[in-house]
Amino acid sequence: MSDLALSSRKPAASLNGYRVVQSISVFVIALVVVSPLFMLFIASLKDDRFQILADMGSFRAFWVDNPTFNNFREVGNFAGELAFGRYLGNSLFILGSTVSLGLVINSMAGFILAWGSLPGRALILSVIIALYVIPQESIIMPLLIIVSRAGLSDTFTAQILPFVASPLYTFLFYQFFAQLPKELYEAASIDGASIFRTWWSIFVPLSLPALATVSILMGIETWNQYLWPILITQTDYARPISVAIATFFGQDSIYWDRAMAASVMMMIPILVFYLAFQRWFISSFVGSAVKG
Amino acid sequence: MASVSIDNVAKFYGNHQVIHGIDIDIADGEFVTLVGPSGCGKSTLLRMIAGLEEISDGDIRIGDRLVNDVPPKERDIAMVFQNYALYPHMTVAQNMGFALKLKGESRAAIDARVKEAAAILALEPYLDRLPKQLSGGQRQRVAMGRAIVRSPQVFLFDEPLSNLDAKLRVQMRAEIKDLHQRLGTTTVYVTHDQIEAMTMADRIVVMKGGVVEQIGRPLELYDRPNNLFVATFIGSPAMNLLKGKAGDGGFVTEGGVVLPLPATATAGAATYGIRPEHLTLDETGFRAEVVVIEPTGAETQVLARCGGQTLVAVLRERVDLNPGDSIGLKPELSAVHLFAEDGRRL
Repeated sequence: MSDLALSSRKPAASLNGYRVVQSISVFVIALVVVSPLFMLFIASLKDDRFQILADMGSFRAFWVDNPTFNNFREVGNFAGELAFGRYLGNSLFILGSTVSLGLVINSMAGFILAWGSLPGRALILSVIIALYVIPQESIIMPLLIIVSRAGLSDTFTAQILPFVASPLYTFLFYQFFAQLPKELYEAASIDGASIFRTWWSIFVPLSLPALATVSILMGIETWNQYLWPILITQTDYARPISVAIATFFGQDSIYWDRAMAASVMMMIPILVFYLAFQRWFISSFVGSAVKG
Repeated sequence: MASVSIDNVAKFYGNHQVIHGIDIDIADGEFVTLVGPSGCGKSTLLRMIAGLEEISDGDIRIGDRLVNDVPPKERDIAMVFQNYALYPHMTVAQNMGFALKLKGESRAAIDARVKEAAAILALEPYLDRLPKQLSGGQRQRVAMGRAIVRSPQVFLFDEPLSNLDAKLRVQMRAEIKDLHQRLGTTTVYVTHDQIEAMTMADRIVVMKGGVVEQIGRPLELYDRPNNLFVATFIGSPAMNLLKGKAGDGGFVTEGGVVLPLPATATAGAATYGIRPEHLTLDETGFRAEVVVIEPTGAETQVLARCGGQTLVAVLRERVDLNPGDSIGLKPELSAVHLFAEDGRRL
């Protein structure tokens, strides 16, 4: 065997070693991320809430001997006939409304900031970025007073309206639109499109990756809202599932089995939502707009 | 179709003036090329005609209508951009029909106009394709098709061929010229390529630093450039320019070479200009040393040094020369250009 052949083996061996380390690392990271979800799912199939507690901290937390869907059935009727169905419906309605309106409002704002002839555009953009660093919790009390005075307590509106316009998502859309070729905007204006038509017919169809990103981030944020809905909802009318799960944690006892099943029920829609939109994260055909 | 009148138009960005009071009258149906180096203001001027840039001073008229404050969509113009600016999510047919759709035309009328334009540009097989499924030349044709379907009064082209390879550029150049001859629409075409300007235009506007250096027919500019800038910008290879002084015995270059002057020559000439094809091999001419020989088949370009300056001669005949050879070059007296110290033609 020639020297060349011998020397060429070394890099291949080190490459294989690198791949093994890489695969193990990925596996460990995946395990850390997925194991709590897996544990949650397993626990939701266990009938005995004390057993769930006893299994925590051991490998039995990842195993169920006699799986059952009883917890899910009981969750369905826990706080009255199909109350959890209502909570789930409320959450879905709030999610759908917030994300739909949010996409329209934030993409419009981002488009105008990127391409509109708005006086003080740079200043507005700076203010929007500055607003992003303010945590939501710090404005929650004034917001609560405003919403209460407006007579919107315990309504869907109170859970949707304050979160529709967001500095983060407006800025995301702004960044996306600003990097599209200026000539697309100019071609549309020469073709006779109004600024609304340019946004709707040209820029919105091209912004599927941005729409998907904002949908996912906004959807997860809305779905996981807890502090605001617990402050603003007093009845079942507009209460979302995130708040309803707290009812399993009573003063006298904690229904771990049902809480786990309810958590799985809460997780499934947002997982489906994510899977539906995530492919747009990576796909974009904007590049074909220009040049050969 | 309509004429375009540009009257004392200026453009400022803050305090920085980029267009300095330009006057151009473009006749109905004329093909005018704005040509000049990067940053000369040619694209800015085109964008002002289109309404994509505000006019700081002066007037622009399309036909008899003052359009200074008229938005682009109401100017009845169509523009072809350097990077085509096709809508990537729309098919070729949708791209071409978009403007008509916005005008509220019926679907049947749009289809008919799109098919008509597609037939002119040989785009019929591609009507259902997306821009990303087309080659550079096809995309360029779609961009032109989008302009044609609107039957505008004026076509504006902003360096439309600069993204194409050399072969396709020559082909598209001929297609655009043919299109103009067939449609007869007034056309303003921006390019930095003087060959494009020379081959396509009825008239050329040469610009530099936001100022018009010369307006004229292509051969007028070639034969009688107004100044040194136009003389060097128009023509490839560029005109040979030799600095020196005109006197009774001829033009004496800085290197001491004596060049013959035409009888009508004006005293005070500071630069002697002669185009490469107006130099011929002649032992009675001035002496030069061959540096490089570039045979292209149809002609031979000879780069030669003479009195410390370099000259290019384009010879029709095939010559047997080698670097270092001493040759005689004779300028054609009727084709000599003389320029003053400030660059003006004498």
